Amino acid sequence: MNSVIKALAFTSVLILAIVALAYATSSGGLGVLPPESLRPLAITYLRTVYNPENPKFTAMAPEAVTAILWDYRGLDTLFETVVFYGAIIAVLTLYRETYRERDILPLKGLSIVVKRATAVTSLAILSVAVATALHGHLTPGGGFQAGAIAAVAPLVMLIVFSKRFLSDRLSHVQLLTMRNLGLLGLGLTAIALAIVGFAIGEKAFIFQNQAKEMSKLSFPQRILGVPAGGTLLFFNIFEALAVAAGFTLVFMVLLSSEELSRKEIVGEEHGY
Amino acid sequence: MSVGDLVFTLLAISALLSTMATVLAVLAKDLLKAIVFSALQSVAYTLMYFLLMAPDIVLVYAAVAVGIYPLTLVLLIKKVGRYE
Repeated sequence: MNSVIKALAFTSVLILAIVALAYATSSGGLGVLPPESLRPLAITYLRTVYNPENPKFTAMAPEAVTAILWDYRGLDTLFETVVFYGAIIAVLTLYRETYRERDILPLKGLSIVVKRATAVTSLAILSVAVATALHGHLTPGGGFQAGAIAAVAPLVMLIVFSKRFLSDRLSHVQLLTMRNLGLLGLGLTAIALAIVGFAIGEKAFIFQNQAKEMSKLSFPQRILGVPAGGTLLFFNIFEALAVAAGFTLVFMVLLSSEELSRKEIVGEEHGY
Repeated sequence: MSVGDLVFTLLAISALLSTMATVLAVLAKDLLKAIVFSALQSVAYTLMYFLLMAPDIVLVYAAVAVGIYPLTLVLLIKKVGRYE
């Protein structure tokens, strides 16, 4: 009884604090939201993101967020991606002695009903992921979102079908290859126009998407009659591939059996 | 009631829901329940992101909040035990 009263008091204090903050914000405590000085910036973005009549500055992609992410500030996003792959490399380094080994876990998994339902939903999850990646430059979404959605399917499969089921079909070598292909694609897309420009003696920039004043080279504006946003489509596809493969690899490694994980920490108390 | 009022009302409801879910997650002694409450809080946040017109965040947040985060934590409590 006492604990219930305590919980109720705690909750009502929190709710009161939120209501007070909301009241202060909505009655103008922080000034006009969003500040008026930021509006011209948003208008500039909206005018240049998809504007065929202004070919010198447009990104030719109707989705403003993806265009800003991969074109206006592409280098930032590249380094964000590097941080993510650093984390994956760190996990693999922690498990460096056992992640290649075949696990001794049995091929058990959950009941047949759950397995069939998971088979159907996994297919649906993967289709949503592919659609998110391929439409990332047209509708909300993009490479990282698609990769995170796609990674849910193997994670559910790992739990429902058992780890052995997935690791027998999708080895760590295949996953690493997929991840490296994705990374290679990202790098090549970033410098593709610079390489082409170097080869044919034309000026071009790193991370160039559409033709600029000083450089006439450009990625395709439309593919099959649909706006393609130049580099954005390629960046999204490769990022989704790399993120999905990286997440799956990490989940597979983290799901190792106790016996296998224990091998990693043997001798740790004495230092290396 | 205009659309703006509706959006703000839904925002307020989901903010309160997320607060309650957070409190329940912190207080729960059963860690499996704590994960479910924490996931509920993330779902409320997903709704808030959607109402604040950030669909790009919604896509990645939904996948992480409903899929990756609870499943990884369930794996964790499988190894460390269910009760605090």
